[in-house]
Amino acid sequence: MPPLTRWCVRSALLWFLLALSTGVLLAGGASADIPGTTWTLPYPTYLHLLTIGWLTNLVFGVAFWMFPRYTAEHPRGSDALGWLAYTGLNTGLLLRLIGEPIQMAGGRAGALLLLSAGLQLLGAWAFVLNTWPRVKGK
Amino acid sequence: MLLVRSALCWLAAGAAMGALLLGAKAVPMPAGVFRLFALHAEALLIGWMVQFAMGVAWWILPKYPRLPERGPGAPIWTAWALLNAGVLLAGIGRAAGAVEGVVLTGRVAEWLAAVAFAAAAWPRVKAFGR
Repeated sequence: MPPLTRWCVRSALLWFLLALSTGVLLAGGASADIPGTTWTLPYPTYLHLLTIGWLTNLVFGVAFWMFPRYTAEHPRGSDALGWLAYTGLNTGLLLRLIGEPIQMAGGRAGALLLLSAGLQLLGAWAFVLNTWPRVKGK
Repeated sequence: MLLVRSALCWLAAGAAMGALLLGAKAVPMPAGVFRLFALHAEALLIGWMVQFAMGVAWWILPKYPRLPERGPGAPIWTAWALLNAGVLLAGIGRAAGAVEGVVLTGRVAEWLAAVAFAAAAWPRVKAFGR
């Protein structure tokens, strides 16, 4: 298993735990408040922890590992694009996790959210670019 | 291949819509941006994740010892066409506030795609080499 896949899968597992913990908190209604703050974790944040943090990270990692080889010299395509996909997705999600509750509580986190949006988009497109040529027959 | 490539296209498009929607929480954007939400959700949940899983399953499930090794092509092509038509109809229909029939037609198309895919994949769920 290549290092990038290990990072993706382990990050996916951590996001998975965090997402389902959040789900428990949200099910408790008011207990979705973040301790020590006036922030409340918004439902969209929970959904994205689950779908981006867990599912998409897992897909990225396994696809990078298991898809048909690109070439003998570069079996997994571009490592740089792979790492860009991982970094963009996870940093973007982390910024969303911080920024969205602040913004929803009336604070100023616009720059964080914009950066988060840009990084996640960059990550998704980097994955598409790197994976596209590896989707092929024998 | 077509299922996975189509899924990648939906990922690229759905992520772009998601970036716009998240950006709209930070800076003022035309109100119409928020109408993208339905298409964003449909594109990423059905177009990307569901379709990617279907494509990888079709690739990796045990093959038949005879040709065609993955079984007849018609059901899987039908599933692909119905699923993508369904995502377009249900997603754009909801985003554009189209009549309820459009969204329902899209959802029925997605359901029929699932039926076609399950029927095609079912016999391939077996021990390798049988």
